[in-house]
Amino acid sequence: MNLNLRDVSVEGDNEVILGNISYEFQPGKIYVLIGRTTSGKTSLMRTIAGLIEPTDGEIHLGDVRLDEVPIWKRGIAMVYQQFINYPHHSVLKNVEFPLLRAGVSKADAKAQALAMIEKVGLTEFKDRKPSQLSGGQQQRVAIARALVRNTQVILLDEPLMNLDYKLREQLREEFRVLFKGTRDSVTIYATTEPSEALFLGDELLVMHEGRIIQHGKPNQVFEQPSNIDVAQIVNDPPMSILDGEIKDGSVQIGKTLNFALPAHIKTQSAGKYKFGIRASEVILGGSASNSEQGEVSLSEVSGSETLLYVKLNIGEIVLQLEGIHDYQIGQKVTVSIAPERIFLFKMDGSLCAAPGN
Amino acid sequence: MTKIFKYLFIGIWSAFVLAPISWALVTSFKPPAAVNNGATFIPWVQFAPTLDGWKDITGISGYANLFPPLINSAIVTFFATLISLVFGCMAAYGLSRFSYGWKYYKNPDIVFFFISQRIMPPAVLAVPFFILLQKIGLLDTKTGLVLVLTSGLMPIVVWLLVDFFNQLPKEIDEMAMLEGCNPFEAFVRTILPLSKPGLTVAGMFSVIFGWNDLFFGLVLTFTNVQTLPVAVVALNGTVTPFWTLSASAIFSILPLIGLAFVVERFLSKGGFAGAVR
Amino acid sequence: MNNKFYKRLFLLPGLLLLIAIIIFPLLFTIRVSMSNWNVSQSGLDWAGGANWARMFQDGAFWSSVRRLFYFSFVTTALQYALGFAAALFAWKGIAARRFFRVLWLIPLMTTPSVMAIVWRSIFREDIGAANGLLSKVGVDPIAWSTSIVPATVTITIAEVWQWTPFMFLILLAGLLSLPKEQFLSAEIDGASTWRTFWSITFPLMAPISIGAILIRLIEASKIFDSIFNLTSAGPGSATETTAYYLYTRGLREFQISYGATMGLTYLILAILTLTILAQLFSRLSKPRGI
Repeated sequence: MNLNLRDVSVEGDNEVILGNISYEFQPGKIYVLIGRTTSGKTSLMRTIAGLIEPTDGEIHLGDVRLDEVPIWKRGIAMVYQQFINYPHHSVLKNVEFPLLRAGVSKADAKAQALAMIEKVGLTEFKDRKPSQLSGGQQQRVAIARALVRNTQVILLDEPLMNLDYKLREQLREEFRVLFKGTRDSVTIYATTEPSEALFLGDELLVMHEGRIIQHGKPNQVFEQPSNIDVAQIVNDPPMSILDGEIKDGSVQIGKTLNFALPAHIKTQSAGKYKFGIRASEVILGGSASNSEQGEVSLSEVSGSETLLYVKLNIGEIVLQLEGIHDYQIGQKVTVSIAPERIFLFKMDGSLCAAPGN
Repeated sequence: MTKIFKYLFIGIWSAFVLAPISWALVTSFKPPAAVNNGATFIPWVQFAPTLDGWKDITGISGYANLFPPLINSAIVTFFATLISLVFGCMAAYGLSRFSYGWKYYKNPDIVFFFISQRIMPPAVLAVPFFILLQKIGLLDTKTGLVLVLTSGLMPIVVWLLVDFFNQLPKEIDEMAMLEGCNPFEAFVRTILPLSKPGLTVAGMFSVIFGWNDLFFGLVLTFTNVQTLPVAVVALNGTVTPFWTLSASAIFSILPLIGLAFVVERFLSKGGFAGAVR
Repeated sequence: MNNKFYKRLFLLPGLLLLIAIIIFPLLFTIRVSMSNWNVSQSGLDWAGGANWARMFQDGAFWSSVRRLFYFSFVTTALQYALGFAAALFAWKGIAARRFFRVLWLIPLMTTPSVMAIVWRSIFREDIGAANGLLSKVGVDPIAWSTSIVPATVTITIAEVWQWTPFMFLILLAGLLSLPKEQFLSAEIDGASTWRTFWSITFPLMAPISIGAILIRLIEASKIFDSIFNLTSAGPGSATETTAYYLYTRGLREFQISYGATMGLTYLILAILTLTILAQLFSRLSKPRGI
């Protein structure tokens, strides 16, 4: 059954928490909500779950008007960001809990719970209390509880956010396997990380300031972000945006960055534009005509990469370099951009041209 | 330097705490001569201990019997505490999870309303309660006293538990609701099991304040029902010798001394953590 | 949504039960304060503000209020200081602290009115322990019940003995639930005990201290049991506080209307004072960024 949101809005004290959300979710797909922390992802999920009452709009599940059904009858499962389990119950009892509430017999509940616990790899911990488990294990219990009921809608609100890097990668792999079995459910997964979105999602919804600003297949959104906000959100680190213009058949960014119009921009008219380049596609070094000199303002090692923030005359640019490098603040470096990889945005932020493949 | 101060304080304070109790204890065993001719302190050295005082209060010598009042106090305190805990914790949970009222009178004001019930001196409320109980035929009954005491104990329960519930993450009851519990079931199945510390503190204060009530017992009960404090004070009103009075004092404080042990054990096991703000 | 039903289910039973029990007394008190109720006659007349006018001119009433402020504030302050000291010492670091915790809790478990009787027997000038001990160290017997200052002292002692454990319990519970990190860093930085207390412990305990003090003030203002059994407001009316005065006028002399008037005034005064104090305290605890 489809989960249908029509014009759902939630108004706060002086702000729009959710603004006119309309979307149809189909079962069998994993939908990823991506957006910054205050973009409304959690609010959207809580509204679907019934924990927030919408000030406007309707929610339908199949032909049932969902927003008129009390929380405990909606049949929706949710995994929170914080590891939420019942502290006074063992892992087994935790996973049995939703089944017993749904009227499943004690014997069946136990069997199904044990099966699910096995699926998430916690069988040897089944009699322990959540406080005796590590963060990753606690979250697996929460996931087990969410999946064990086979609900029509499963919501996951940044479930891996509070786990360390390695665990996150590990669990992400397991997710794909776990969620393969949920063919009849609508699965909605919220995250701030583009890599998670690209890895897990069948369909991507980009949220910003309470609204959905783009949706589509992850690759599609990644390669054709409809505006600068989307470009910033689906890239980590965010895309660098520089002001410039198209003049006399060439691109001019700042004083020294000047190159001929690449193929995908050839058809654009002259004028002022905003140019975007991904961090992974900025090149260190380069020849005089398409490079610019700047100073390092920050050097950050992240995982097995180094992020270099360079201050140029024309603005700040981020580079993503493989390996671990040591750069001093104030160090002078030269950066250049490959023209074919530039994104072109109008001054109002909307996309003009994206690099072809 | 601080060490000396520390041990000095501990010593003096402990002596102070023990002083009146040990005086009453010792006096309860004194024969008349040891009382009426000036103060005496050490048994067997300054006087020969007797059991007269104790015989007087346990009905053996026919003077008075403090056992029935003891039982009355126990019953009244038990029920008043029970009702206060049940209704009080429900109200406190509601005040913690939902938002009531309208723009000018919201949750904190409702909590204040509960607390303000304890401001009015019993002297003022005594007469109207008297009339009220008389009208509904509950004067001089345990039930009547229980109702009146409940109005004073529920506020304590609510005050303590609202803070306590606010510290229990509301995500837990949210999760229970998502998994099929209506709010009441969520409360009973997930929050109550985690509330033992809070309920214990609230229960303890209720028992203490309920058991030790003097005024309402004095005004609202006479012949059929008599609580322990009332009985002891009545003894004081008539010409009762000091050894008997002291015995009655020790008798009436013994029951709750055991509570001190329970509370301490609870405290040391970290039971209070989060129970009091 | 059905949510509304449950919302009401939680609060209303308790709230309605409370209102049911106190609504009549409250309305009755208001109504009767504006009449001259003679218990022997039936029916209530209407006296308007006569009782209120009388009260404003009643010196005894206002003296009792003054004494009340004194007793409740002084005893609460003493109880807080002593209770906090006791809590600090029973918190950690001394041997047999569990024993002391139980010992120091005991006064809270005793019945105030009964203990007042015991204090009476201690402070009897002729055969009481107080004078008995004093004479042993060569001090003249003190007129505990017939002089103003000693009488006040006896009440203060009884109250401090009885209620310091209340502060002790709440503050100790608070101390036991404090997060340890801040103390560890203070230790590493080499802060002295005194310094640690003032800069870390005391500020962290601010919310609990405020709650405890306010609650204790509410209870202390009703002080009755000890005065009734220890000094009977004596000598004269030196230790007569408002609750006792209300008792005498209102109940013993059957001036119920007047008692009601005074009671309502007391209620208004108390609520005002508490609200002001609560605001004051919350403002005091803000600047430190707690």
